[in-house]
Amino acid sequence: MRRVRRTAGDIFRWPLWLGVFTAIGLASALLGNDGWDVLSWVALAIPLAVLGWKASRAT
Amino acid sequence: MTARSVKWWSLVHKWTSLVCTLFLLMLCITGLPLIFHDEIDDFFQSEVSARELPADTPQAPLSKLIDTAKARYPARFAQVLNWDQDRANVVNVFLSEVPAPPPGKRLLKLSFDSRTADLLEEDAQEGGVMRTIRVIHRDMLMGLPGELFLGAMGLLFVIALVSGVVLYAPFMRRLEFGAVRRGGAPRIKWLDLHNLIGAVALVWLLAVGLTGIINTISLPLFNAWRAQVLPELIAPHLGKPPLARFADIDGVVATARQALGGNVPASVVLPTQARFGTPRHFIVWTKGATPITSRLFTPAMLDAETGQLVAARGLPWYLRVLQVSRPLHFGDYGGLPLKIIWALLDLATIIVIASGLYLWLGKRKSRQLGMQVTDRPTTVATSGVTS
Repeated sequence: MRRVRRTAGDIFRWPLWLGVFTAIGLASALLGNDGWDVLSWVALAIPLAVLGWKASRAT
Repeated sequence: MTARSVKWWSLVHKWTSLVCTLFLLMLCITGLPLIFHDEIDDFFQSEVSARELPADTPQAPLSKLIDTAKARYPARFAQVLNWDQDRANVVNVFLSEVPAPPPGKRLLKLSFDSRTADLLEEDAQEGGVMRTIRVIHRDMLMGLPGELFLGAMGLLFVIALVSGVVLYAPFMRRLEFGAVRRGGAPRIKWLDLHNLIGAVALVWLLAVGLTGIINTISLPLFNAWRAQVLPELIAPHLGKPPLARFADIDGVVATARQALGGNVPASVVLPTQARFGTPRHFIVWTKGATPITSRLFTPAMLDAETGQLVAARGLPWYLRVLQVSRPLHFGDYGGLPLKIIWALLDLATIIVIASGLYLWLGKRKSRQLGMQVTDRPTTVATSGVTS
């Protein structure tokens, strides 16, 4: 474990951005079809990809 | 954050989670097949489609479909007619055995080709594994009380999520985002995974949780609206004998179309004793054309005798919120890829819940053994006091 104290900004930076992507993904498919649907899939796939990447990585 | 407040939030997180855990697990597990219910239904029982006919083939009068349905089942009561959501050129007529079927009662569904007026199929809408799973997911086979109970569990779940966010900071004080410590005690690994998945899926969890809660109060909300709207509509007709003649349904639908220009009709509630309609009106439910407005239904009420428009108002805000919250709960508004994303996030939720339960069980066990497991941040780390 690293002996570094992280600020609230450090701690919540990633979750905040992933939350923004999720919100965009949830909203965009409601707003339209086709392009909006694709935007929704991409935006929601980002948090899932980060999850897969982090969960598969040993520290 | 002080050690005291960390302790308080820990208690909130622990107890709100513990109380709702098993119900949330049930909801996640039953919810998984429900995400794909359209695909599953299609796979097991393919519905009859309308024939291929030239695109400019005119539609048959709706009255012909209703007359055919009534002739086939003279002892039954035609209640509702709808344009099939999934099948082009198919109109369904729903019949009940009694004049005022109780809420939730399955109606006999007759599907017609809307151009030839040919009967395509009959569906008693009884049984079926998917229907049972849906009812368990909605109310655990206990009707409204079960539904409201699950709503309360959803509320606890949302509180658990919020308290989890608060606790996330002290836990992550010395860790990089997404760090999963392996090689140590399994609890540490599962704690890190619990925090990671929770942090990644938080907004989705909140969206599905909150919209689920809203769905559990849909029946009371619709009842409140009915109690507000219907007495006024019915008042002029009180004490009058039942109608012998009704207005022509095709004229009624045309009038409703005209009144709500941008919308298309989705269903028609025929004059009925049932609670979803009135004996003196046709209710034409219309919807918009975009993904979001197609979820927002606007009713037009027309006089059952004269066919004249009585009222065509948008629904109050709380029913609009309810209608928009449905797709956000079901994930059925962005094609199959969105459903797959929903399923993956649902599986992630199961891991969060199961790991939380595991961490709690493990802590009890280690306490019994008199062991101290260092999965908690130290007081210094959590207190915010520089060490």
